[in-house]
Amino acid sequence: MASNPIVRVRGVHKYFTRGSEQIDVLNNLNLEVPEGEFFGLMGPSGSGKTTLLNLIAGLDKPSEGEVWIGESLVSRMTESELARWRTRSIGFIFQFYHLLPVLTAYENVELPLLLLPLSSTERRRQVLTALDLVGLSDRLHHRPGQLSGGQQQRVGIARAIVTDPILIVADEPTGDLDARSAEEILNLLGELQKSLQKTIILVTHDPRAAQRAQRILHLEKGQLVESQAAPESATAIRDLVAARPSEGIQKDRR
Amino acid sequence: MTELFTNPLLLLCAVIAFVPLLAGIVLIALFPKLFLLVVKNLRRNLLRTVLTTVAIMFLVFMVTVILTVVYTLDLFTTEKSKDFKLIVMERWQLPSQMPPTHAKYLDPDPKNSQFLLDRKDVTPNDFMSWSFYAGSTEPDPKKRNLNNLAFFFVMNPHHIRPMMDDLGDLDPKLVEALVQTRRGCLMGRERMEALDKKVGERFSVYGLNYKDIDLEFEIVGQLPEGRYNKNAIMNEDYFTQAMNKYALKNNGKKHPLDMKRLNLIWLRVPDDATYKRVAAKVESASVFADLPVKCETASSASSRFLEPFRDLLRIMKWLVVAILISMSLVVANAISISVRERQTEMAVLKVVGYQPRQILAMVLGESMLVGGTSGLLASTLTFWLFNSIGGIPFPLLWFAFFVPWHALIWGLAIGFGTSLLGSILPAWSARSVKVSEVFAKVA
Repeated sequence: MASNPIVRVRGVHKYFTRGSEQIDVLNNLNLEVPEGEFFGLMGPSGSGKTTLLNLIAGLDKPSEGEVWIGESLVSRMTESELARWRTRSIGFIFQFYHLLPVLTAYENVELPLLLLPLSSTERRRQVLTALDLVGLSDRLHHRPGQLSGGQQQRVGIARAIVTDPILIVADEPTGDLDARSAEEILNLLGELQKSLQKTIILVTHDPRAAQRAQRILHLEKGQLVESQAAPESATAIRDLVAARPSEGIQKDRR
Repeated sequence: MTELFTNPLLLLCAVIAFVPLLAGIVLIALFPKLFLLVVKNLRRNLLRTVLTTVAIMFLVFMVTVILTVVYTLDLFTTEKSKDFKLIVMERWQLPSQMPPTHAKYLDPDPKNSQFLLDRKDVTPNDFMSWSFYAGSTEPDPKKRNLNNLAFFFVMNPHHIRPMMDDLGDLDPKLVEALVQTRRGCLMGRERMEALDKKVGERFSVYGLNYKDIDLEFEIVGQLPEGRYNKNAIMNEDYFTQAMNKYALKNNGKKHPLDMKRLNLIWLRVPDDATYKRVAAKVESASVFADLPVKCETASSASSRFLEPFRDLLRIMKWLVVAILISMSLVVANAISISVRERQTEMAVLKVVGYQPRQILAMVLGESMLVGGTSGLLASTLTFWLFNSIGGIPFPLLWFAFFVPWHALIWGLAIGFGTSLLGSILPAWSARSVKVSEVFAKVA
């Protein structure tokens, strides 16, 4: 594991106001996630997991404190700067996939690339690579409605990785899937982390999903509590990668 | 086409129509895939898109019809500053009924020795006089109806091209035919169809406004498509001859209307100063002392004629405003629903890196694509439909209104303008979607 922290959350405080009442969600929270780590974030509902994830992904701003991703101070960026930054730097995987129903799998994955200065040939190559990585090369022209939940989530993952982001954040990516599909998705995420050295932050309250992470933190009452990753998860990932060579994965992408 | 640069309202419409059109073309060329997404979003709820399109088309159709009437009447009533016509008519009576000798005093033809004005001082550039003859092809008064009626402008054929509105390009051969064929007439398409006559055919007309003046005609040509579709033009010499014949038949007793048969005299003047001097001299001329005349510009005469309809016209203009507001509301409603339904998708677009302004542009693009297409389609249909059936009929006036080519610009401008207005708020709300709030609701 690389030691350079790619995610640095410093003294973050996040609160919401409801009427005159202030509700503290995150309280003086500090976190560092090293580059290439598969990091798990657990906690009960309402503990602030998604809020923290949104802060890291630049979808929300802290009330106080700083969020650094790589060399970017995300918490100070304007909305336009954040949008530009997200295109290149963040891949987001949702619980409910959130694919655009009018677009095919190919077009959904292509969506973030339309914002980048790429030729159509380059764009096509990257989309096909991403879809190949998630094992959906034969479903390019299927619309989300024509795909199973697991396949839709694979498209979601392809969309998240297609721009080759430095950080992938996954918010309950298996929460809407049956056990078998969930297993496949977790295997896929683990494979991506191993093969492409991607930093992944996984938010979940499913202990089985969290076991795939190298490090797990619990969020309770707005504070992080450390715990150990299960050693068998690392073994499982290694076995999986060994069983499926990553011929389609291009480590040397931009 | 020059009107585009002289009519500020039309220029504004052109700007509203062509700026988004050009911007749209450029954006489509630059981002074809995003345009495809816009189209796919519109296809998502096809029924809603079709209903919105139909509603906009219907409203643009109504606006185009109303604007055509208002625009045409405005044309008639707008004062020109150069090369305009003035009307000489009886001062105290409407319709004006003057003796034919009045025309002689005002004809600036160099051969006319009776010309009233001093040619070295001030003189009109051109001249024409009108008498109106109306009759029916049906001799039996009980069987007369609108289909067998005919209305003729009685005038000197040589004055048709220089003086008659919209007939400046009339084929000179038709004028010559009218000169050569004393009983000849030029007739509009609709009147020929109503009378079931063709060019070259002969027919009799039994006088209505000139009792016992029944005339034989031969149609020597068709008037150009347009405002004269329902009318005809005959040679004044033939009419004079008919009046003389009447006197011969009646032991020298002239027709009761013989000395009242000149209805209007038109003079073309180069500018306002000439108009004022000609008008002053004509109105004070001693030759008209027995039957005083007055001068008016064609536009002021039209304004006076349209005075009873002024309130109606005002209501029509306000109706346009009401329709435009309704159109904006129709668009606002459809786009609001669409945006509300797709809030999560807007949030996803933001997550993958779309800028707020890009989301705003996409929503505006959807609405303006529907609005612009519907507007252009509706105005083109209105243009084609009414102009192919002889204009928009207006029962209170004697002519129909032809939809001008500007209507295509109006349609596009109205479509773009109202859809832009209607979708600004929904598009802004789409632009301002708070990603974390949207996903909090979804979860």
